[in-house]
Amino acid sequence: MTTTRTQTPATPTRTARPANPLARLGNRLMLDPTLGVITLLILVCVVSAFVLPAFLTLTNLTNLVSTSLIVMILAMGMTVVLVSGGIDLSIGAAMALCAGVTAQTLLLGLPLFAAMVCALVVGVIVGIGNGLLITRLKLPDFIATLAMLGFASGILYIWTGGVPIIGYMVPEYYYIGGLTPLFGVITGPMLVALAVALLLGWMLGSTRLGSHLFAVGSSPTAAMQSAVRVDRTKVLAYVISGVTAAVAGIILAGRNTNVPADLGVGFEIQAIAAAVIGGASLSGGRGRILGAILGALTLAATINIINLEGVPSSYQRIVIGGILLIAVLANRGSDVVSAVARQRRATQAGVSTGSAGRLTDTALHREQA
Amino acid sequence: MSTQGTTTKVLSTVGVPIAIVLVVLVVVFQILSPVFLEPSSVRDYITNAIPILLITVGVAIVITAGGIDLSVGTVAGLSAGISLWALSAGASTVVGILAGLATGVLFGLINGLLITKLAINDFIVTLATLNIAAGLLVVLTESVSLQGISVPGFSSLVYGRILGIPTSFWIAVIIFAAMQFVLVRTMLGRRIFAVGVAPEAARNAGVDVPGIRLSTFVISGLLAGAAGVLLASRLGTVQAFLGVGYEFTAIAGAVLGGVSLAGGRGSVWAAVVGGLLLATVQQGLRLNGVDPVYFSIVTGLCIIAGVVFDRGVQRIVFNRMLGRPSGGPPRDVQKTDDVMAGASAGSRADS
Repeated sequence: MTTTRTQTPATPTRTARPANPLARLGNRLMLDPTLGVITLLILVCVVSAFVLPAFLTLTNLTNLVSTSLIVMILAMGMTVVLVSGGIDLSIGAAMALCAGVTAQTLLLGLPLFAAMVCALVVGVIVGIGNGLLITRLKLPDFIATLAMLGFASGILYIWTGGVPIIGYMVPEYYYIGGLTPLFGVITGPMLVALAVALLLGWMLGSTRLGSHLFAVGSSPTAAMQSAVRVDRTKVLAYVISGVTAAVAGIILAGRNTNVPADLGVGFEIQAIAAAVIGGASLSGGRGRILGAILGALTLAATINIINLEGVPSSYQRIVIGGILLIAVLANRGSDVVSAVARQRRATQAGVSTGSAGRLTDTALHREQA
Repeated sequence: MSTQGTTTKVLSTVGVPIAIVLVVLVVVFQILSPVFLEPSSVRDYITNAIPILLITVGVAIVITAGGIDLSVGTVAGLSAGISLWALSAGASTVVGILAGLATGVLFGLINGLLITKLAINDFIVTLATLNIAAGLLVVLTESVSLQGISVPGFSSLVYGRILGIPTSFWIAVIIFAAMQFVLVRTMLGRRIFAVGVAPEAARNAGVDVPGIRLSTFVISGLLAGAAGVLLASRLGTVQAFLGVGYEFTAIAGAVLGGVSLAGGRGSVWAAVVGGLLLATVQQGLRLNGVDPVYFSIVTGLCIIAGVVFDRGVQRIVFNRMLGRPSGGPPRDVQKTDDVMAGASAGSRADS
């Protein structure tokens, strides 16, 4: 479903696949780039399941997933941008702006469908704006999207005048915001997040655009020399993150039932954190959609456990900072494990260990550069 | 070369194009509202801007070495909190100042050690410490009251006068001069540039790259601590969200001044000019009665226009130095620039 592509080239050792399916699964896990964050997530869940009886209840788990969805959708868009070697600081402000657009168009009396289309159009415009600032005016990604953050949040401030937009909820919107479940515990946002995940996972893993994104992120010069249209690919990456911001904004406006001007503050940081916890690299060319999902779940699970433990909410940010560092170290550990596993398989297959040895080295020093 | 006149040379210096913009803006604002250059007005807005300027210089030094420091804003907030906490517990002014500075240095050390020893990406480490410092300040403000603390000696850091000019202004000037000296005249400064331009080459030349990077983060932490102390002295009150978002203003100011996010290009005075430009625009808007809701949009526009202008001037100057017509870059130069821009965008966050 999602991509298994990483910066590391596929080793020519597929022939050494063991017959035992369990060993094969083990092998695949060892080589998985998100092994670190999976281990972390499982560890966190198992420990808290033992310590906190309230954790493993259906209500709590649904609650946990529901609260993670907004950051999850944003983190998937952010992952696409990070893979292309950029960064999108405007994603939170764009989300808030799109939420405002949805609310305002609903207040104008337009049907919900039309309001959602308007929000998506605004998301695309923000993405194109980012992309053009970066490719045409040659601004650094960080600066261009920082300026866009200023624009988007400024427009929402002017628009709302500091007073939250309210009174726009129509009956169907409760389904889209997830306040009324569709059936059982399944809510609309869950299905939307799943659809976004499948779509972006397919896009990154199996389409030409996906491989171009990885190529541009790994080495823009090499990509250009291979006739990849670097600028066009970068703009598309930002358009995708703009669209995910719009989707998240539509859902958040429905869940919040009001749109204050500061709705999106801090979401860009959470989205980057979730994407990075999920194995995306800030140097580009590395990242996967499944990782972003797991990263968002890890963040939500941590906050959930803190709340259940009765830790004052003021400690939340300290724990988030700590979990970010631990997750990155866990990913580093999993890189080493993968490299060692690859090396062992390479030795078994009688292939020269030269390239695998170099991989261990790359994994260890990847982010040192 | 005959084409390489004095004008070209001056314009190619980092920060000069933006300094020209700053002067033009000051003149425009003075014409629009005559109170702009009144001593009390200038004094107010410079004293308000000084903490951000200190942070901007610290970030500029980290960026020059090819890194990035997102934690500076909340570290400054936490330093302000710690400083006031020490004073409210009965510590002397000197101890209060040292407590604030020590907090900054401690965070700089933590950042630098995590980045160099554990080889974690600097963006992520400082993102984590940003959250940790912000969280610690929330915890601190919830457990002790840091409201309206006024110790005469401590307040005089900002409200005292030397030669009719606020003390904090002198402190800032001394710090800026010291930092500029370090960056331009010392071995450490030259190595900071070397590490920013090409870490591999610097290492091959025998430069202790991790050590240099560590020291840039400690410098940035120290300046954040100093900014926090001055904030605490000016406000006398520290609230939970002090310093949140300052890092973005600081990075924008540094880049606006001409510091390159790719590393290897920067100067202290350029960062100060860039930061002052942002502060001046806000002050000008405020004096002209513009609604504060427009500030973030105007600031965004300023950042884009300023960076485009600065890079445009650099490109024209570059062409003139090579003896090319200044009308527009030839096709091949444009292409090289594209590659360089792309490559730097790719390698920036990595370093």
